[in-house]
This record gives sequence, C-alpha cells and structure tokens, in this order.
Amino acid sequence: MQASRARLFKEYKEVQREKSADPDIQLVCDDSNIFKWTALIKGPSETPYEGGVFQLAFAVPEQYPLQPPQVRFLTKIFHPNVHFKTGEICLDILKNAWSPAWTLQSVCRAIIALMAHPEPDSPLNCDSGNLLRSGDIRGFQSMARMYTRLAAMPKKG
Amino acid sequence: MRHGYILGILKGMGYIPHNSPEDPFIDHIKHNTAVQLKFGRHRNSERKKMQNQEKCGASCEFDDWSNFEDEDIMQQQSDIKAEEAQKVPFVADKEPLSALASEYQSGSPILLEKIKVLGEQYAAIRRTRGDGNCFFRSFMFSYLEHILASQDQAEVDRIKAKVEECRRTLQSLGHADFTFEDFFALFLEQLDNVLQGNESSISHGELVVRSRDQSVSDYVVMFFRFVTSGEIRKRSEFFEPFILGLTNATVEQFCKSSVEPMGEESDHVHITALSDALGVPIRVVYLDRSSCDSGGASVNHHDFIPTPGDCPNATSGSTETTIPFITLLYRPGHYDILYPK
Repeated sequence: MQASRARLFKEYKEVQREKSADPDIQLVCDDSNIFKWTALIKGPSETPYEGGVFQLAFAVPEQYPLQPPQVRFLTKIFHPNVHFKTGEICLDILKNAWSPAWTLQSVCRAIIALMAHPEPDSPLNCDSGNLLRSGDIRGFQSMARMYTRLAAMPKKG
Repeated sequence: MRHGYILGILKGMGYIPHNSPEDPFIDHIKHNTAVQLKFGRHRNSERKKMQNQEKCGASCEFDDWSNFEDEDIMQQQSDIKAEEAQKVPFVADKEPLSALASEYQSGSPILLEKIKVLGEQYAAIRRTRGDGNCFFRSFMFSYLEHILASQDQAEVDRIKAKVEECRRTLQSLGHADFTFEDFFALFLEQLDNVLQGNESSISHGELVVRSRDQSVSDYVVMFFRFVTSGEIRKRSEFFEPFILGLTNATVEQFCKSSVEPMGEESDHVHITALSDALGVPIRVVYLDRSSCDSGGASVNHHDFIPTPGDCPNATSGSTETTIPFITLLYRPGHYDILYPK
C-alpha cells in the first residue's frame, strides 16, 4: 500500500513535469484519491478515431506496480479489442504481460497504439472484429467513425 | 458445425432474427454475434455467457453478458496461485536430499539412480514455489544466504558496483528512474542487512522470513527481472540468436513478454544475462530422465560463468577456474536450491 502510493506520487510528479511532452495524452489524478485517475486521449490520425477525444478511467490496485491498473474506456468506442458496453480493454500489458516497467502514461500510449492497430483475432467486440476479419474495412471504418462522431466529438451548434 | 449449433440456439431463443428497430447497429451486432462465437480468445467466456443467456431465457438483455469478463480468467489464475501457495512457501525449509528421493519412490529408476549420484556431492535441498519466479527466488535466497554466512565485504562492494552499472544500463535504455528505483533500493537494503554488525543486521531466520514475505520477495524478483532485461537489451547482438532459437520474438519483444512480467519462467537466456550482469557465477545441476550412453548414471551440470574480469575472486589474467557458490537444481520447468556437502 505504502509502496504503491509512493510510486503513484512519483508518477504524479512526472506527469506534472512532462505535461506538454505528449499532447495526445492528458492524464489527471483524482483530487482526493491517488488510486483513481482519468485520462483524455486523442484518437490517432489516419484512423476512424481521428478528431475524437476518448476518456479512460484508471483504477489502481494496492499491489501496483506489481499488478496492472484496471483501465476502461468511458467514451463509447467501436473497436475489436474494447468491450462495446463496459469499455473493458483487451490488451496483454493490462493482463499477463504487465510489468512495473510500464507507467500510467505509457499505458495510455499503448492504448493509442492499440486504437491504430486493432487485433481482430482476439476480439472483445466481435462484430467489430468480424468486419475486419472478413475484409470489410469500409464497413468497419464507417461504424468506428460513426461512433467517434456520436460519442467522442463535441456536439456542433 | 458448432456455428450451426449456436445459430440454432439463438434462433430457438428467439434471439435471431428478433430486432428492435430503434437501433439498426445493435441489430447488426446481434446478428453478427452468432458468427463470432466460433473464433477468438474470448470464445470460452462467450460460450459461458451463452449458457447463462440460455438459463435466464430470451428476455435477458445483451448487457448481462458483461457479467463474464477476463476478470473471471484472472480470478481463476489467482485461485490456482493461492492453491500452489498452500503447498510451498516462496522459499521452503532446508531438507535432506533423501526428501528428494522419497518424492520419486515409485518413479523412474533413472531418476532414483541420479538422485543417488547427487547424494555423493550434495547434502540438502531447499525448495522454492513453482510460480514462474522460482529461478529468481532461488538465486535471491542463495546469494543473500551466502553473503550472510561468508560476511564477504569485498563481494558486497563488487556487486554494488555492478548494480550501479545495471542502473546506468536501464537509464541508457530509456527507463525513467522511478519505474525501477524502488526495486533496486529494496535489494540493496537486503544486501546491507545480511552484513552483520549494524543495527539493521538480520539473522538467518529473519532472512528466511523476509524471503517468504511477498512484499520483499516479489520486489527483489522484480529487481532481478529489470537487471536481466537490461543486460539482454544492452547486449542484444549477443543474445539475439539464442532468443530466436527459443521464440520467434525480437529481443525487445522477448524482454517485454518473457523477462519483465512477473511469473514468466526463466531459461538459459535469463540465467546467462543475470549471471553476467551481476558478475555472479551460477551452477545448474540437471535432473531429468535422459540416460547416459556409458551405462552408469551421471548427473550433468552447467556452470554459468560471467565474462572474465567480472567474476568475484578473479585476478586479471588468471586462468583459475571459478567454482560457483550458487548451485541450483533444475528439473524440467523448475529450479530449487542445492547445498553441497
């Protein structure tokens, strides 16, 4: 508990110091609880998520950094490796390939990389995965684009 | 066939084609669900959801499927670990070698013969938990126990210099200090504590207690994992052919997936890298069912000797052979500590 708190505090200071280093990620710690974080990440360019801003929720366990943080999309996203309803993310580094070498910041980067490079063979959103697996790139992109517009972009007017 | 079966269930439940027209995409999703069940990593949990669905009838909402997640799998894994933990602590008590023989009483005669041969050279064994970290835990305990017994200040100074080198290696590979410094600090603290004559000095009994304490043991294991990963990447050209022989991964991928995560088992590559990085020779004695051509049973061992100049006691230009003070017993998939006579 003490170790995880100390580590998170170091990450907090690092995030403050490097605030402008990565313009695609805005990582914020909860005012009253250092084990709760949220992040705003920009959809990577040349993907259907471009122009969207996606919110992630982090719940950090007491055994952190020996155990991974739990991360979910709060913003609806149509992506093979993100559960359509719960926002759960299927990413190896958040499961068995986790190591303390990762940080909350680098997890955000890994999630952005996942958005740009979906893994349709281990889908959490199987419909999305099937569109890609069947080669219907256009179908996938238009669905993903539609949800990006509906959920991840500011409403016009 | 399974595809058709599942489709049948869905139809029988009135799930397909049963559309609420308010959201054409949800309809699309429902329809495609039947196809996807055939594939993918999440197939089993999906099927579990199907059964659940079946139980509670077609009135169930799609949302209920989210009750079964990867967390189920994670939970099962941690249950298995807890069960394993009941059997052996991270580091067990020292046992006479006869304890090893009794384990194989009704087993392979080759193994029994080899254990007899082992008994000529080795007196005791100390088991470690088979949780994928056994090599690192064995190394940790064996090394600290050696320092505690020998009070070899020169060796402590030497390894501390190597640890600093490892720190610089990780920095030069782009790791932020805060990601690894806690693990380094905890190892250095154990090292200082086994040296006697300070307020913080610990007894052998306390070393055993600490090695069984997850918050100490896991942190030291992680320290070794960082050191191992740093060494492999620093000398990636040297390690690359070995890694290619083991897996299909690049050096970087190998370190990310098979060295840095807790619970990933160690192989020759890990042992070589750790031994080189810290300059500590390690002997691994192999106990397996391979028999010898010559007839009589013999037990193979392999010494991992760090590159000259790096190993303890080595004087420059000396050709004197180093005898490792750490001896591990390898049985396929697992490492324990061996004690010579």
